[in-house]
Amino acid sequence: MDHSVSSVTPGSGLSRRTLFKALGVGALGVGSGGLAGCSGGLGDDTLRFLMNKPEVVGYFGELITAYNEQSGRPPVFFDSTPTSISAQFVRGVPPDLACYNYQYEASTYVNRDVLTDLRDTAPAQQIAPHVQELVSQFADEEHRFHVLPYSTAAAGVIYNVALFEDNGVEVPTTWSEVIQACQTFQDAGVVPIYGTYQEGWTMAQGIFDYCVGGMIDVAGFYARLREVGDEFEAGADYSFSVVMADAVARMTELAEFDNEDAAARGYSDGNLAFGQGQAAMYLQGPWALGEIEKVDPDLQVATFPLPMTDDPEDTKCRVNLDLGMWIPAQTPHREAAMDLLTYLFQPDIINTYNAENLYYSPLEDAPAQPDERVAGLQEYVDSGRFYQGPSTFIPPTIPLANYLQELLITGDPQAFLRKLDEDWRRLALRSA
Amino acid sequence: MTTDTATSPGTRATDPGAEAPRHRSRVPRTYYLMLLPALALFTFFITLPALAGALFSLTNYVGFGDWEFVGINNYRVMFTDPKILSAYVFTIGFSVVTVIVVNVLAMLLALGLNAKIRLKTALRGVFFVPMVISGIVIAYVFNYLFSTSLPSIVQSLGVGGPLSQSILANEDLAWLSIVIVTAWQSIPMALIIYLAGLQAIPDEVYEAAALDGATPGKQFWAITLPLMAGYVVINTVLGVKNFLNAYDIIVGLTNGGPGTSTMSVAMSIFTGFNSGDYAYQMANAVIFFLVTVIVSVLQLLLIRRRGVQL
Amino acid sequence: MTAQPASTQTAATVPATREQEARRRRGGPRLRKDRGGPTNWPATLLLVLASLSVLVPLYFTLAMAFKTPEQAVQGTGFTWPWPMNWASFADAWTLTDFPRSFTISLLIAVGTVVGTLILSSMASYAIARNWDRKLFRWSYFYLLAAMFIPFPVVALPQVKLTAMLGIDGPVGVTVLHVMFQMSFSVLLYSAFLRSIPEEIEESARVDGASTWQVFWRIIFPLLAPMNATVGIFAFLASWNDFMMPSLITSDPTEQTLPVVQNIFQLAFATNYNIAFASYLMAMLPTIVVYVLAQRWIMEGVTRGAIK
Repeated sequence: MDHSVSSVTPGSGLSRRTLFKALGVGALGVGSGGLAGCSGGLGDDTLRFLMNKPEVVGYFGELITAYNEQSGRPPVFFDSTPTSISAQFVRGVPPDLACYNYQYEASTYVNRDVLTDLRDTAPAQQIAPHVQELVSQFADEEHRFHVLPYSTAAAGVIYNVALFEDNGVEVPTTWSEVIQACQTFQDAGVVPIYGTYQEGWTMAQGIFDYCVGGMIDVAGFYARLREVGDEFEAGADYSFSVVMADAVARMTELAEFDNEDAAARGYSDGNLAFGQGQAAMYLQGPWALGEIEKVDPDLQVATFPLPMTDDPEDTKCRVNLDLGMWIPAQTPHREAAMDLLTYLFQPDIINTYNAENLYYSPLEDAPAQPDERVAGLQEYVDSGRFYQGPSTFIPPTIPLANYLQELLITGDPQAFLRKLDEDWRRLALRSA
Repeated sequence: MTTDTATSPGTRATDPGAEAPRHRSRVPRTYYLMLLPALALFTFFITLPALAGALFSLTNYVGFGDWEFVGINNYRVMFTDPKILSAYVFTIGFSVVTVIVVNVLAMLLALGLNAKIRLKTALRGVFFVPMVISGIVIAYVFNYLFSTSLPSIVQSLGVGGPLSQSILANEDLAWLSIVIVTAWQSIPMALIIYLAGLQAIPDEVYEAAALDGATPGKQFWAITLPLMAGYVVINTVLGVKNFLNAYDIIVGLTNGGPGTSTMSVAMSIFTGFNSGDYAYQMANAVIFFLVTVIVSVLQLLLIRRRGVQL
Repeated sequence: MTAQPASTQTAATVPATREQEARRRRGGPRLRKDRGGPTNWPATLLLVLASLSVLVPLYFTLAMAFKTPEQAVQGTGFTWPWPMNWASFADAWTLTDFPRSFTISLLIAVGTVVGTLILSSMASYAIARNWDRKLFRWSYFYLLAAMFIPFPVVALPQVKLTAMLGIDGPVGVTVLHVMFQMSFSVLLYSAFLRSIPEEIEESARVDGASTWQVFWRIIFPLLAPMNATVGIFAFLASWNDFMMPSLITSDPTEQTLPVVQNIFQLAFATNYNIAFASYLMAMLPTIVVYVLAQRWIMEGVTRGAIK
């Protein structure tokens, strides 16, 4: 989930807990570190465990309760405030153990060397090397073990099975078939794809990642950019405006099939609308399936990876390190944090979590994901035909989501890519 | 911030120096002790962070962890960054427009409240209320008015045009909403200053002018405005100082959007907090400090000149 | 403004220009009111219309706060709900934890006022009485320099500093509010102190009072009008601030009343009736105090504005 902060669902029960979750987002665009009680509230020997992925807060709450009952240690404080972790590092009070969406932001912690090396721990030995490798794709040539993958999500196009059948549409395997399918739905008066531009992250992890990731070598692209460093030049053959040009053009083509009011719709609107059968396709990850299920438990949905070329062999699905675990180097509770980490990495706990929440366990020999709603992605995951979302490599200082909003409303791919190029060049210059 | 800035403290030296002889003797230690807490706290909580910030603007620090000096890289990059430049353009443009709006409206209200009107006390009481309300709260109220009430009124009138949609989501008009709410909140203070100024003008001046047959309009341009010049300057200085730091009301209305069209410099600096741009935004802060100083010095020069005429 | 501010001025409250002095001897400035002539009805009417720009948003807040959730999403929002729904206030009360956020806001504001009064008045006194000493003169300009350092400039380092000291909460906010209030307050006090004749102190000194005693027993009470002015400005600035607490305070449960209002932009974006009930509750304390003490507050603010 790339949306840890954005999806506090409106209108949910009015509880104090939700209040403080909301307040955490609170400092409004600046994200004050909402660390409930780090200064005084918690005892000195209390471990603070942070996990703020909204869809599974309840699940982890139970895990922590179970842990507390059997650990024989002071109870762990479970912090689920949706807040900026960077702000907590800036304040010098990161959580003692974090289970957090791993992308560029979190990779900064590895690169700035503020995390504990976990290479020699037992859990690190159980992780499948190709999953651990995903961590290293973010600017870590040394292949450090500072972050242990806990859960990977595979994502593709969620589709409404009944609408596909009713309109005689097969699951597309090539780009032309995708466009054809969209056309068919449009002609039949069905919204082909439900877009939610109001919340930028939905576009970044959805249409942008699918289109770009499906056409380019994501890890290779960013590895090249790192290699080029501050020599980066806009418009060069390794730049965004060259490498991503075709993909972004196809993206705007595909966005033509979004609902008319996409610009004014957000994540929860999307889940609701798709759950009510208002659209045939929805570019969201498995985290949205639970939300859709809440709208209509009987709705039959399935997933396929978005084909971006006319060769079915090229098709790949998006994966991301939905959760990764790390322990800040400065924690005074390293030993206790390690104990909780080891507990959470027990195969029956980590595998069960992933199975039940439609994710994939990073452990070697983990069982396959049984849920049929994501079964369409299984063979791609198994055969390694996946990429990490290109948006997850872009640091938050580049407002990709805002640019996407602008692009999908005004439709100028050149301007969009030029901005990415220029922002990247500036970033490279000052990180030099 | 007061008329005194015009003349003091520089002119203090020329005041009748009644106390001069006493100070030939040793200064009682108590005076030092009285000054010390203010100086020490001020240095620790303002000067020190300012210096630290300036130092970090020369590094690639992200707010934690390892860092190294990168020279003036941050500054070089900043001056080509459209996000930051547009924040300056927005902030300065917004300040200028708002200062004008606030001063014109406050002056009109002051003239009105100073005229022979009914309900004077009640009206005055009403106009001053916005002063005591928190900017963020009133911005939230206006947020609803702009995004929901206004469009639905316009729509029900059957008029089309940009106002039938929320102006907060309109890249070209969103800034206007910020001007309106900022003015709403800032007018009372300017109004108080103008009222005080108007009251200091002796009636005889107007009586004489009226005898000479000057119309009210003429009286305003020929008498009131020149005599009020000093107060206009005060209001401008006060206004610019506040508006350059625009933050609360923007957060309540647009949060910098749509896109980044209403992102103020203050907002832009605060993003350095959680986007890994700590050092970069500290460079921005240093430049912002220089801009503030330059604007303030220009204004002080203006005041000194005006001060003579007061 | 009526005669009131000027006529209540004593020689001590406002160091007057020669012109004002002269006017005071004549019995205070004459008011427009004194200038006979008929009521200016067009001006009255225009002002009444203009006052709607203040009253309408306030009415709107009130109307929304008393609506039911269903009414709150209908139409323009201006219709007055009947019967009035009081339930939103209870929800807003719990959601923002009103007693807590109110208390925190109040403590910060009161702390800011007390801190500002004590620190600034002492420093100003020391400076004013030693103006011919370089150290004091320079200190004056040094403290005044903060006018050029807006909070955003030092915000990020201050976040780190307060976190390091473990005061990244109401305490830190109070301290910083005092710091940022200092320049203006020192300016006001210094101007005022110059008008207090030193002879008043001399007699006390002759009686053996120390500088410390002279300040607290004689000068500080004489500063009363300026204390009121400085206090009102400090209180309003602190009470209504959003920027500083939202950045400095790390624990969301220690946030101030203005900052907690943001939950209605995030989690409860569609509960308009509750949001407006909460906004109303956030506005009311200062409005009520203002209405009750209007004359006194206006006097104080005016003194600060023109002095």
